[in-house]
Amino acid sequence: MTTHRKLILISVLAAICLLLYRPLVGTHAATATQVPAPETWSRDVAPVLYKNCTTCHHPGGAGPFSLLTYADAKRWAPQILNVTQSRFMPPWLPEPGYGDFADVRRLTDQDQALLKRWISGGMAQGDMKDAPAEPHYDATWQMGKPDLVLKVSQPFTLPGGGADTFRNLILPYPLKETHYIRAMEIRPGAPQVVHHANVVVDRTGSLRRLHPNDWQSGVPGMELLVDAGNRFDPDSHFLFWKPDTPALVEPEGMPWRLDPGNDLILNIHLKPSGKAETLDAQIGLYFTPDPPVSKPMLLALERDDKLDIPAGDPNFVVEDSLTLPVDVQVLGAYPHAHYLGHDMQGWAILPDGEKKWLVWIKNWDIDRQSVYRYREPLLLPAGTVLHMKYTFDNSAANPHNPHVPPMRVQAGNRSEDEMAHLWLQVLPVNAAAGGPDPRLQIEEAWMRRRLSKTPADQVSMYNLAAALAGQDKFAEAATVYEEELKADARNARTLTALGAALEGAGQFEQAGERYRSAIALAGPADAGGCDARFDLARMGVRRAEYAEAEKEFRALLTACPEDAETRSGLGAALLGAGRSEDAAREFRRALELDAADFTALYNLGAMAGDGGDAQQAAKMLEAALRAWPASPDAHEKLAAAYAQMGRLGDALVQLRTAAGLAPDDAKIHSSLSQVLDAQGLSEEAFGEQKRALQLDPKDADGWNNLGALLARGGQTEAARSAFEHALQIQPDHAQAKANLARLAGRN
Amino acid sequence: MPSCGDSYFRLLARCLVAMTLFLVLGPSCFSAAAQYGIDINGKPIGDLGGTGVRVIVLVFAASDCPISNRYIPEIARLNGEYSSRGVRFWWVFPNPSDTADVVKQHNKDFAIHEDALLDASQTLVKRANVTVTPEVAVFTAGLREVYHGRIDDRYISLGQERPHAERHELEMAIQAALGAKPVPQPGGPPVGCSIVFLQK
Repeated sequence: MTTHRKLILISVLAAICLLLYRPLVGTHAATATQVPAPETWSRDVAPVLYKNCTTCHHPGGAGPFSLLTYADAKRWAPQILNVTQSRFMPPWLPEPGYGDFADVRRLTDQDQALLKRWISGGMAQGDMKDAPAEPHYDATWQMGKPDLVLKVSQPFTLPGGGADTFRNLILPYPLKETHYIRAMEIRPGAPQVVHHANVVVDRTGSLRRLHPNDWQSGVPGMELLVDAGNRFDPDSHFLFWKPDTPALVEPEGMPWRLDPGNDLILNIHLKPSGKAETLDAQIGLYFTPDPPVSKPMLLALERDDKLDIPAGDPNFVVEDSLTLPVDVQVLGAYPHAHYLGHDMQGWAILPDGEKKWLVWIKNWDIDRQSVYRYREPLLLPAGTVLHMKYTFDNSAANPHNPHVPPMRVQAGNRSEDEMAHLWLQVLPVNAAAGGPDPRLQIEEAWMRRRLSKTPADQVSMYNLAAALAGQDKFAEAATVYEEELKADARNARTLTALGAALEGAGQFEQAGERYRSAIALAGPADAGGCDARFDLARMGVRRAEYAEAEKEFRALLTACPEDAETRSGLGAALLGAGRSEDAAREFRRALELDAADFTALYNLGAMAGDGGDAQQAAKMLEAALRAWPASPDAHEKLAAAYAQMGRLGDALVQLRTAAGLAPDDAKIHSSLSQVLDAQGLSEEAFGEQKRALQLDPKDADGWNNLGALLARGGQTEAARSAFEHALQIQPDHAQAKANLARLAGRN
Repeated sequence: MPSCGDSYFRLLARCLVAMTLFLVLGPSCFSAAAQYGIDINGKPIGDLGGTGVRVIVLVFAASDCPISNRYIPEIARLNGEYSSRGVRFWWVFPNPSDTADVVKQHNKDFAIHEDALLDASQTLVKRANVTVTPEVAVFTAGLREVYHGRIDDRYISLGQERPHAERHELEMAIQAALGAKPVPQPGGPPVGCSIVFLQK
């Protein structure tokens, strides 16, 4: 009744206003030169709908109805008006002005007003000649036939009714070789019920192992934790899919990787449609032969440890911050909470005090969550402090609240638990050549921050130690692993990692002990003790204990899945033992398994170079450097191959890079000096040779080369002294003797 | 006048109530010759009730309305729960685009087992005072409307949705009508797709 009264009152007021307004309109009309034509569907509305709506709202699309035609627009006009004015549609949560994002789906104010005027003005069709061409959508793969299509083992049936469902569908990667993925397309099978999906790369098949008997039908759960394995290999990509995402195309030079034994997990949010729907999900993968040249990483601000939200609290706030240790570009952001999240802010304070917004969502809605990619990468220098501040509403007034009446809520993976995460994809920039991988520095800072919040967190301890070891801070890493082992002394993985840290610190005996303990304690996740055995074998190569190393590598091939690293490791052991042909066979097998296996490429390149096949050496070493651009040895070997081919300019480039990566390597400076000299750059050549001799004063060849440079420069006495120095170190140095004789002859 | 009861006295009592309501809301007791649209096989529907029917529920729906479709399992649940207790459910399709063929296919796709009728003239829409799909109207066997509005409180507006309904208002209305108790009214407006009204 109250509503009716209000309506009547409003109607009366409207009538009065109209009466008062009419004469004014008349006056205005008499003087106006042109009255704007009313909006029409064909000229004004169709372009707005085609740009903003029909990627989902087309027949067979993810939207529940089509908006392609005039009849469609008219049929759904009341809903269009409602949802565009409330900004429920198109779905876009970030506030404008707080992060400059690509692919913004927010309707412009002008388009919003236009739709309102058209609908309230009678929805004129207009002249169909004005209408833009109808966009075409088809159900085939958007990027053509994929290189590989992964399918679920069993279709999943979503019931017609009930609450939203969160399911993890596991799609094993079936190939025996590593591939780099430049694009991915997901076809969930029933687009109208799939709200969004995250694809997670499970490097170790850990979720499948946890559910050995029923993984084929998928695993329920909103969030999942997978075991990333032992390598520092941060999953660096947001593989987030929403209904209008036709394909996820990675930026140039930033593919992601799939190795044998990996699984893709389709973490999928489903909304029942009223009838049972069968999801026969497929993922299409598009390969590139080129490994990544840019390696971003994902990091998270997070405050789950503080999530203990009292029942009824409408304004529960958590905050987190993290100081960046290196310069980065922020490429994307993924704010995440569950049903109680309300206001979510992320920002950065630069070292000069400037504040840059990362994202601000004022009215969070998990149903419309997304990854947001920045229009231009956002540069944040080292020392920038990242911040997040999330507000949660656990009151009865929050319609999304899963508990009625409200209950105390803590962090957790179930949808009725909460989360406070702000994930960022960052690409380190301006890193010094030859320095540690800057992602390791970020990882270290991130894990130290996590430990400052939750000091007993074993995952953070393990990751911190791994980041330290990755930066060659082996003793420090070993201390952290030992700390972690205090809580779990029989943890085979940590023992293996501790072994590696001790090995790095040069404590080979202790390292071997830890590896052997880990093999003995290996749990079901690594029944063959494969990781520890691999490290033990690799240490054998390093210590030139080739027979022992070969034995361990062969044991690995029996007990564990075949992989490229084992094959190339065996190759290295055989090469060390002088069995070049056997070694080459293993390296070639490694490349069949992973065409970018560095060890195999490097050694085959070096073997070709030693055999005088400079062309083949260059080809292999170029590929090796694509897999690991920071290897000074590979640059040096490639320079030698180029020099053999007469490409002295290219050789110079390689040696300069190698010297940048390994500034204290005397051999590289010495080689550089020779190539500079051959290029006629005598002065620079002299400087490099002197640098080499500072680093290695016992190098007779180096002294001889220095003497030759001095002699050509007319500095006879200094040259004589250099040759004599070479002969002091190596009395039978033939060239030094000959050079000395030649000098004597001049005089 | 089969739809108005099985005895003269009852008939008289109901029609008296109907007359009272008529003064306020308009006609609520259908005439003997009334037709309530056609079923999906084109057969005219002259009786919404039937033997033993004490409460009639009209569920206004549209085959292309997502929220309407999401309620199909809930209506099936209520039908399973209450049909044996004298409640008859009707899916009512009032939109011009919902022809017999469209609805037939839709009911097959969504496994709808309740009765369905096409309200092509939108007579029932007017009688029930409904505006969107899904929206329900609850009548006594004498076709006195005791409730119209949303099915439950799951949807607050387009885009605002609870994980589960907390107030099952249609069910509460059915229970009250069965118990001849005052029928609680909906706590909020129905949310869904506007009915496509016929042009006058």
